[in-house]
Amino acid sequence: MLAKDAYKELEDVLGPENISEEPGVLDGYAWQPALNLGREAWIPRPEAVVLPETTEEVQGIIKICNKHKVKFKAFSTGWAAWGGPGEQGVVQIDLRRMNRILEIDAKNMYAVVEPYVCAAQLQAEAMKKGLNCHIIGAGPNTSPLANTTSGWGYGWTGLFTGFSGRNPLGVEWVLPDGEILRLGSIGSDAGWISGDGPGPSLRGIMRGWGGAQGGLGVFTKCAIKLYPWPAGPKEPRFKGIITDIKTTDVPKTHKVYFLFSPSYEKYADLAYEIGNSEIGYVHCKGAFGAMFGLLAPRAMRKMLASPAIRTITRAFQHMTLFMLAAHTDRELKYQEKVLKKIASETNGIALDASVFPFHQMFWWGVVRSIFPAMVFRPGGDFLTSMGSNVAYDCAVNQAKEGEKIKREFIDKGVFLEDLADCTWGGIYEGTSNWGHLEEIGMFDRRKTEPDGRFEYMDATNKAAIDKSLGYGLSSLGEGYYKIFGPLMHDYHIWQAKIKQAFDPNNTSDGSFYIPPIDELED
Amino acid sequence: MSLQDLQRDMAGCSRCSQCKWVPMLQIKSWRFAKVCPSIDRYNLHAYSGSGKMIIGTSLLEGRSELNDNITEIIYKCQLCGACQVSCQAYRDDIDLADVLLELRAKCVEEGFVIPEHLEMIDSMKREDNPMGMLKRDRGDWAKGLDIPNINNQKVDVLFHAGCRYSYDEDLQDITRTAVMILKNAGIDVGIAGNDESCCGGRAYEIGYQGEMKNYAEDMASRVRASGAKILVTPCSDCYYTFKYLYPKNNLDLGVKVLHITEYVDSLIKEGVIRPEKDIPLKVTYHDPCHLGRRGEVYKEWEGEDKLLRPVRYKQSGKLGVYDPPRDIIKAISGIDFVEMERIREYSWCCGAGGGVLEAFPDFSAWTATERIEEAKATGAEAIVTACPWCERVFIDAIKKNGDSIKVYDVMELLNLSLGGR
Repeated sequence: MLAKDAYKELEDVLGPENISEEPGVLDGYAWQPALNLGREAWIPRPEAVVLPETTEEVQGIIKICNKHKVKFKAFSTGWAAWGGPGEQGVVQIDLRRMNRILEIDAKNMYAVVEPYVCAAQLQAEAMKKGLNCHIIGAGPNTSPLANTTSGWGYGWTGLFTGFSGRNPLGVEWVLPDGEILRLGSIGSDAGWISGDGPGPSLRGIMRGWGGAQGGLGVFTKCAIKLYPWPAGPKEPRFKGIITDIKTTDVPKTHKVYFLFSPSYEKYADLAYEIGNSEIGYVHCKGAFGAMFGLLAPRAMRKMLASPAIRTITRAFQHMTLFMLAAHTDRELKYQEKVLKKIASETNGIALDASVFPFHQMFWWGVVRSIFPAMVFRPGGDFLTSMGSNVAYDCAVNQAKEGEKIKREFIDKGVFLEDLADCTWGGIYEGTSNWGHLEEIGMFDRRKTEPDGRFEYMDATNKAAIDKSLGYGLSSLGEGYYKIFGPLMHDYHIWQAKIKQAFDPNNTSDGSFYIPPIDELED
Repeated sequence: MSLQDLQRDMAGCSRCSQCKWVPMLQIKSWRFAKVCPSIDRYNLHAYSGSGKMIIGTSLLEGRSELNDNITEIIYKCQLCGACQVSCQAYRDDIDLADVLLELRAKCVEEGFVIPEHLEMIDSMKREDNPMGMLKRDRGDWAKGLDIPNINNQKVDVLFHAGCRYSYDEDLQDITRTAVMILKNAGIDVGIAGNDESCCGGRAYEIGYQGEMKNYAEDMASRVRASGAKILVTPCSDCYYTFKYLYPKNNLDLGVKVLHITEYVDSLIKEGVIRPEKDIPLKVTYHDPCHLGRRGEVYKEWEGEDKLLRPVRYKQSGKLGVYDPPRDIIKAISGIDFVEMERIREYSWCCGAGGGVLEAFPDFSAWTATERIEEAKATGAEAIVTACPWCERVFIDAIKKNGDSIKVYDVMELLNLSLGGR
């Protein structure tokens, strides 16, 4: 329990409504099943939870924590284990009262948001101005501020919008010692438009590749890049909730395609050519088995029990989900022509989904990024592995290895049957021709023991090392820097030095980041 | 059912927080993106649907104990069911709304009760209504209407007014209007007068589950005595009780149950009722939770693993009553009908339900004000609804805030078009 004087000081800053140490309330922050590699869904229960509304209140909390030598951990929308305490004795900062879109600058194509703005809110407001934002695969219920400043994520539109690390501009950051640092142009009172000056440019320190997962202070405001929403509806209206979506608002210049390739090599060739030709709005690895499982989980269990059906469906394994979004009919025709030529040259098939009744549902589901969260339908839980950002051929190698490993664990009953497809990833940023492919396994935590999942993570990490597949999502787990760091220029030493310099009292819970260098060397 | 029976549902919570938001595909703005009044007002995760499931798990595992603080959190919730709709967009194996009901039953079982709710139960036991009114006055609303009393004659249709519409003097005109619309349409409709009693749904919702059984049996005996083939109610809460709570507890009324809007809509579509007079008014419609998403008929499914439950057994809210009230409004010429952002399954609650109006009136008023703000954002001159509880809190919130937007029941609006006042 928090010392009484510390609690009182926090209460004085926030008001009694915005702090609690009630055990039943705190358990609401200790229950974190998602992407939790522990034995149970519980993580350490925080000592108290606090709900700041302003940057100054965040600063006040952090100063009190430093004074009393109590660790803190902040989260925004609060999904997944890394948002909560990694050890006992931590104050949870729940940022949900910091929930405003402060500005949308349509001309310069950025928005300034607070932590608890969710991606669906930002997208809805951006679309009113003819713009769109990147939404990570975790879904539109997550915080754009969190994933641009502190985490790693790629969404359907990664081809067009880049992954999360590409999207922060000016940032307001309350450092672990309570000092407020403003990165980029906002640091020189020159507005939010640039993340790299005039003013301090510390993007690499702030987030590096995968973000500090809340282990390096609290980000309170962030300017985020916005992108064109070509000829898209400003306020689309729909009937339905999810797979029953119906609308008449699909622009004639938008089309979803299913692209089928005969092999992984041809799948990669198709991706490279799409990137090189600079067409498309969405590029994502399709996964027939997983998609089937998400949309019709009961049918999947029955049908995939049949070896014949498994063989048939494997024929659709190398699938790309692709979307075109053009400003004009002429542009659409051009992009379609290019797409069909690429598909033909890579021995693939381009299936125009706009002729199907479900096109409306797919279109809006992809734009709003709702399908990945359906990964919970088949079993109630999932984990992910592999998935480093690399040249796409290497990503495909990961997918091949990952599928082999996942097959073993499906056969052992650790994961549900999904044809062992690689289920998520795509190419980023057009001609850069890099991307990722990750290996998601679906399971029911209530029925299965965790040991199989640990073994799966170890097996995929081992494959990543043995076959030089890169530093991926599996390496983000607690403590994996010990394995990957020495293999990758001792990056963890530099991270630990940064941690110590920015967090002299080690109050920002770095369980999912890195300990300070003194502790690491001990 | 008990909280223990829902252990697997609760353990399935992934803490994604979808339960706090309008289903993601339906978020249309920053302002009206939230769907749960409880978490939106009080902010701690424990107030959300997910948070309450975690409380349930924590209690069952012995990690924490019930106390006054947790009890208050459990009861600061209108049981509007919006959390379940958003959760079930992604999950087939979690019946969140049932968890909320069972948490309350556990509170009562362990003696953690809300004083205002005890008063409601006491009033129900003494006077057959939770509003502290006298049973002998229950039928006063119908004085002078010449509606047959089922104690004296058999009828085709039994009109069950419900407690709020029977006793709330500000709303009794609506009750009279509704039954007279049926009578004037030539329907053989009757009422139970002073012998009508509460449906018992509110008692069940506030955790006194056993109390509902007597009311259900009483209701069934009245239905049998009336000879009616159809039971019609203008109250959305009663409708939910008849459609969901009774069947869930194996209580069968043995009669077709319709909300007044369903019945009148069918009469309009058959040409029996013809709205004729122009009503030049820009209106929006508020879906009562217990008529919409919670008005879906209960669907029993036997099995251990809800992951294997066919989708048609989910209480996703999809089959609630949404179109009949809208169709009635649209049948009135001159009406300019506009929708709010949060509608149908993902409608924002009025704030009255689940015993919140009685125990936490400020929270109820805050929730109603949020809805009024959303209605005003459409440019509507009036908010139309089909539930006396919604109407009560809207009227009060508008008065308190000095707003000018009007509140109509669907039947009131129809009556104007039929030439009534």
